[in-house]
Amino acid sequence: MSTIDLKAWYIAKKNIKEKLKNYSSMFWTIAFPIMMLIVYKLAFSADDGSYLINGLTTFDVEFPGIVVYTIGISCVTSAVMFSMSKKDGTLERIDAMPVSRGNVFLGAVISEGVFMNLQIILIYLFGYGILGAHFELAMMPIGYLIALIYGIASIGLGLIIASFLNSPEGANGIAMLSHMCLMFVSGSFFPLDNVSVFFTPQYWVKQVYLQLTVVGDSFSDLLYSGTIITPTSVATFFPIWSGILMILAFAAIFIILGIRIFQKKTTL
Amino acid sequence: MVYGRNLFKLIIIKIMNVSTKKEAIILSSDHNQFNENKLSTEYIIIVQNLEKSFNSVKAVDGISLKVRKGELFSLLGPNGAGKSTTIRMLTTVLKPSNGDARIAEYSLIKEKDKIKPFIGVCPQENVVFEALTAEDNVEFVGRMHGMNTDDIKERTKILLEKMNIAGRKKSAKSFSGGMKRRLNIVMSLINQPQILFLDEPSAGLDPQARRLVWDFIKDLKKTGMTIILTTHDMIEADVLSDHIAIMDHGKIIAFGTVNELKSNSNNGNILEFSFSSRKELIQAKNRLEQITDVKNITEMENNKLIISFTGGVKTLKNEILGKIESFKTLHFREDSLEDIFLKLTGRGLRD
Repeated sequence: MSTIDLKAWYIAKKNIKEKLKNYSSMFWTIAFPIMMLIVYKLAFSADDGSYLINGLTTFDVEFPGIVVYTIGISCVTSAVMFSMSKKDGTLERIDAMPVSRGNVFLGAVISEGVFMNLQIILIYLFGYGILGAHFELAMMPIGYLIALIYGIASIGLGLIIASFLNSPEGANGIAMLSHMCLMFVSGSFFPLDNVSVFFTPQYWVKQVYLQLTVVGDSFSDLLYSGTIITPTSVATFFPIWSGILMILAFAAIFIILGIRIFQKKTTL
Repeated sequence: MVYGRNLFKLIIIKIMNVSTKKEAIILSSDHNQFNENKLSTEYIIIVQNLEKSFNSVKAVDGISLKVRKGELFSLLGPNGAGKSTTIRMLTTVLKPSNGDARIAEYSLIKEKDKIKPFIGVCPQENVVFEALTAEDNVEFVGRMHGMNTDDIKERTKILLEKMNIAGRKKSAKSFSGGMKRRLNIVMSLINQPQILFLDEPSAGLDPQARRLVWDFIKDLKKTGMTIILTTHDMIEADVLSDHIAIMDHGKIIAFGTVNELKSNSNNGNILEFSFSSRKELIQAKNRLEQITDVKNITEMENNKLIISFTGGVKTLKNEILGKIESFKTLHFREDSLEDIFLKLTGRGLRD
């Protein structure tokens, strides 16, 4: 059973129905990011923007951090989903049916993808539409795509976590802990000008997204070394397109590792 | 007076028991042999030296068995005997450490993906997608088996009605344990499997629901479906099974039809005494131990004593009842499956 077919869609459909009825999961997926967005807006509303470049406010520059946070939640929801399927026996039940694990993984990516799209649309509506975050329209499609690729990386990370944990509560805790730690270490929440940021996918996603869709840089421009763009920030020798390659590499590594480890741990 | 009336009843029961024993079938002596030629015509499952170890623990220790097409085969055993591990291997979710099985003509080791379309599995736990309705749960399993919408709808309706859970629009989360169990069984049947694996199907069901499930299983058997059942419910095994394999410590320790197991147990007849006091029980026990035809004496709770003996009514009248001066109640019965089970597996509690 190595083929991928229409069954992946039916698995995705089932996952979506299950998630829609899981209210705590829906809160983390949709309500919490919107709440964070409002908190950020209120926190930075008094900022005069004097230390930022091109007249951008702190809220404008921090908005990509909210996008990274929101999409990164997929790590938590996918970790919970996969560990739950291990605990309640549904994974074993599916294994006894003529359906490949490829379909199971693709089904999860499709269903999570549906919610990711919903999250991005809602965040855009709230952030850009209602709260007035600055954006460069021409670069928005690529920003959208970067967010989705990062979402796939997050599903991979969730799979890795679920591989080692049978309890959905444990998976929820560990995934949330790792997500929050990475958010701080990458400087996605608050500025952190440290070399450690380069080892987190969140840094690359936030920085590339920020420079393309907020600052309006082009692919060939250099990335800034810091996680917030100020007049004192120093540009690295990395061009922005190499940042996109890093995001793709992180996504590929996480999803491949996730599938491999999950397969190894759950193939009895 | 009471003694005379009891003896008359016992004689009548004994005569009736003799007549039922005529139904006994010869024990299948070839169940451990692997015969490829017979496979396609007679046997749908042939298991050969199947083993499963978890670290240093052998959960299943080289079992071999054959299951005929269309029969109901029960795996009976105490907790931790290896029944569920065997089922998990035969349903392709657990890789055997050693040995192989041929299921629906395919090798479990080499062609497990080809086996999956032929089987239906009702696991020991209630494995349902709790957020979905009963219909959605069944539809999902149907989709995984590649069934089309019309077939799924038609079959779902029939099965849910038969299991008395049709028309429920709420999610399975709100179902009682019994309803979830019945839904599990329906999910295992949507693809009309040739072989149905039922891992303790009536566990946790009330007597009414249990009867419903038993009747349903009997109806399934009439359609020619092969059913593999694991249980530690002796009545269930007795009522439903064509053949029974008793497992303990990962091995098959007895095999045959219910009647074959009973006639081969050499337990003889069973008497259940209850006494007013422990003193009476001890006195009776001491006297019974002196009777050569009494084979086994077991003390139970509430001053009860169970003995097995040979020699029939003659021993009962001349030896046993002559030596027991007083008792509260006396029950005479034929050797039951539970007696055989306890004799074979012992009385020690299992995990």
